[in-house]
Amino acid sequence: MELRVIEKTDEELRMEIAGEDHTFMNVLKGALLETEGVAAATYDMNPEQSGGQVDPILSVKTEGGMDPLDAVAAASSRIRDTTADLRDAYSAAI
Amino acid sequence: MAEEFDVEFIERGDRSARFLVRGLTPAFANGIRRAMIADVPTLSIDTVRFIENTSVMFDEMIALRLGLIPLTTPLDDFEVGETVTLALDVEGPATAYSGDIQSSVPEVQPADENVPIIELKQGQRLEFEADAVLDSGKTHAKHQGGVAVGYRHLQRVEVVGDAGEFEEQEPNILRGVIETEDGELVNADEFGNDLTQRYPGKEVEVHDVPGAFVFHVETDGSFSVDELVLRAIESLDLRAAELEEKVRV
Repeated sequence: MELRVIEKTDEELRMEIAGEDHTFMNVLKGALLETEGVAAATYDMNPEQSGGQVDPILSVKTEGGMDPLDAVAAASSRIRDTTADLRDAYSAAI
Repeated sequence: MAEEFDVEFIERGDRSARFLVRGLTPAFANGIRRAMIADVPTLSIDTVRFIENTSVMFDEMIALRLGLIPLTTPLDDFEVGETVTLALDVEGPATAYSGDIQSSVPEVQPADENVPIIELKQGQRLEFEADAVLDSGKTHAKHQGGVAVGYRHLQRVEVVGDAGEFEEQEPNILRGVIETEDGELVNADEFGNDLTQRYPGKEVEVHDVPGAFVFHVETDGSFSVDELVLRAIESLDLRAAELEEKVRV
């Protein structure tokens, strides 16, 4: 996972997350949209055959003074909470 | 934001299972499904050194077949990229089976013993040494640990009334798992996938239950279903942890 910030203002972020695909990006997008202070979140990704930008680009827009990088961190920790809960629930059911 | 997850098994075997997870978002359900298919690594033969191949097939064709043989994979003992050496020596007339493969590591064995590699006639012989490498399904489909992984919504069936008395009832075909009004989980196979078999003479309504996903997971024998599911969840967790750490810096 290599990060490269393309554009960053107080309320907007465009960042390339190299080496990831829909598996993680869609989960991350979903978590961002559930995070407080996030106005919009999406990612753009092209197929390998397109020959252009193939690594996903994450776009985040925030509101209410939330720093977009903090929003990404908050979403990541949200994913970690979810995975931990899910792992516990699955282990309990075995 | 601790969400409440609830996992319930409908069918449970070593290599195949069906279970219900409540409280999931669609994005997360799909993330786990994709991680099970493409991100949980397995061992698979990748390089073959032929010592003798007097069979009717080219080395490359046999090497391709060898790659597709599932090998038991103790994921705790290996890192991606690590290799295990295997060997085989069979002389005709006989059929070379996956069970004839000798492994240098006792924990790594062919998951099934009865996968035919090639039939050898009198005087033909196959002898080789091979390296199995640990890699993920993203690199090559032979490294996929989950072979049939998918999910469906849980469907809630409600009886809303009686069917017309003199009407011929049409079959009401349904797949997947239903939740009855008593909260019982029933696989549609049990009533021939036909709701009129389970509720004869009744008018029923079927609704998807939001956030409730019925996963069907089948592995190729490299490891158990539990291992596959937990590793898939772990792989999402590791990536989230990596991103969090990098963003905070």
